[in-house]
Amino acid sequence: MAAVRELQKDLEAKANDLSKIQKDISKNHQVRKKYTIQLGENELVLKELDLLNDDANVYKLIGPVLVKQDLAEANANVRKRIEYISAELKRLDSTLQDLEEKQNSKKEAMFKLQQRIQSLQAGKDKA
Amino acid sequence: MVKGTVTSLSSIFAPDDALKASVHVQEVISQRQKEVQQLQAFLNDNTSLVNLLKKLPDQLHHDIMVPFGKAAFFPGKLIHTNEFMVLLGEGYYAERTSKQTVEILKRRGKGLDSQIESLNAVIKDLKFETSFFDETATEAAEGIVEIREDYVEEAFDEDKATTSGQDDFASILSRIDQLEKEELESELAEEGEEKDEADIEPEFRNLEIKESLDIPVYRDSHIKVPTPSGSNTPMRPVDHNISKEGLSRAPMSRDEVEVSTLASTSSSSNVSSKTRVAASSSSNASSKTSVAASGSSNASSKTSVAASMSKEVSNFGSRSSNDKAFTGSIVERTHNIENSQKGQTSAPASKPVSRFKLQRK
Repeated sequence: MAAVRELQKDLEAKANDLSKIQKDISKNHQVRKKYTIQLGENELVLKELDLLNDDANVYKLIGPVLVKQDLAEANANVRKRIEYISAELKRLDSTLQDLEEKQNSKKEAMFKLQQRIQSLQAGKDKA
Repeated sequence: MVKGTVTSLSSIFAPDDALKASVHVQEVISQRQKEVQQLQAFLNDNTSLVNLLKKLPDQLHHDIMVPFGKAAFFPGKLIHTNEFMVLLGEGYYAERTSKQTVEILKRRGKGLDSQIESLNAVIKDLKFETSFFDETATEAAEGIVEIREDYVEEAFDEDKATTSGQDDFASILSRIDQLEKEELESELAEEGEEKDEADIEPEFRNLEIKESLDIPVYRDSHIKVPTPSGSNTPMRPVDHNISKEGLSRAPMSRDEVEVSTLASTSSSSNVSSKTRVAASSSSNASSKTSVAASGSSNASSKTSVAASMSKEVSNFGSRSSNDKAFTGSIVERTHNIENSQKGQTSAPASKPVSRFKLQRK
C-alpha cells in the first residue's frame, strides 16, 4: 500500500514537471514566431534601403520623434539587427530541442511508473 | 466455401471519428480563410493607396478639410504634393517621390499576392481532406464492407459457358492461350529471354499478352489441376508468381512448355493457330516447329492430358465466369480482343478452336 502511494506521489511530481516543460515549449514557440516575423520585416527593409539612392533621406522613429539617419548607418543597423535575430532564433531552436527531449524522457518515466502502479494494484487486488 | 474476410468499413474508420476529424479540419479551413480575407483586405488597401498616390502630384497644392481633434475640421492646403515619407518597416522611414512610393507599394503587393496564393493552396488541400473524411463517414454509416477473398482455384460446371458474354470471354481466353503458346515457343527456341525478337513489335505484343495473361495463366493452372499428370501441380505456385510479375519470363517459360504440350497433344491444328500469330511475328515461325517436336515428345508422357483436354476446353468457357472478378486484367484484354478476333476469323477448324467457335456468338 505504502509503495503504491509513494509511486503515485512520484507520478504527480513528474506530471507537474511535464506540464512545466510543456509551458516552456509553448513560450519558446511564441517567441520564435515573433522573432521570425521581425526577421522577415528587417529583410524587407534592407531590400528597400538597397534600392534607395545615396542622397535619399532616411528617418528612424524613436518614440514620438522622427530622427534623420544616414543611409549607410541605417543599412548597417538593419544588417546588425538581422544577424542578432538569426542568432536568437538558433539559440531558441536548441533550447526547444532540449525541452522536447526532456519532455519525452519525462513522459516515458511517467508511463513506466504508471505501469508499475498498475501491476502493484493488480497484485494487491488478487491478494 | 470461398475463404474470405469481410471487414465493415465502420470498424476500420469509425464514422464518429471520421466526422469529428472532418469537423476539426473544417475549423482549420475557416481559420485559414479568415487569414486569406485579411490579406485580401490589405491588398485592397494597397491598391487604393496606389491610386491616391498617382493623383496627388497632379496639383501643386490641394485644398482640403484638415481634421482637428475628434469632431472638428478646418480648411487647409496640402503642399509638397510629391514628397512622401514611406514606412519601410521596423521604424525606418524613407523620403520618396510619388512614383518611387508607388513602386514600393507594388512590391509589397506582390509579396501579399504570393502569401495569398500559398494560403489558398493550403485551403484546397484541407478541403480535400474534409471531403475524404465525409465520404468515409457516410460509407461507414451506410455499412459498406470491404471484402477480401483469396483466389481459390475450383472446378466448375461446364454448363455455365452458354451466355454470349461468356462466349466472348471463352474465345478471347482461348485466343490468349494460343498466343501464349507462340510466345513460349519463341522463348524456347532462343533459350535466352531478351535476345529473341528482332522485331520490337512482336515483343511488345508478347509483353502485352503476358500482362493480360494473369488470369489465363491462372486458368491454365486450373486446367492442369484436374489432369492426372503429376508434373502439373508444381506449376501452381509458379503461376502465382507469374500473376505478380507478369513479365517474369523464367516461370512463364515453364508454364508455356506445359501449355504448348497440352495444346500439341490435342491437335496439330495448334500449329496453324500459331501461324496466325506468326503472321505478325515472323521470327516465331521457326521456333514453333521445334517446340511442336518437343511437344510431341512430351505428348507420350502426358497422354492423359489429351483425355482431359475436352474437359479443359469446356473449362475455358466456364472459367470466364470466375474471371469476371478480375476486372483489371479484363480491361487489358480488350487489346487482344481485336487481335484475337481478327485472328479467329481466319482460324482453321482445330478441335479446341472449333469448340470456342461454337461458344462464340
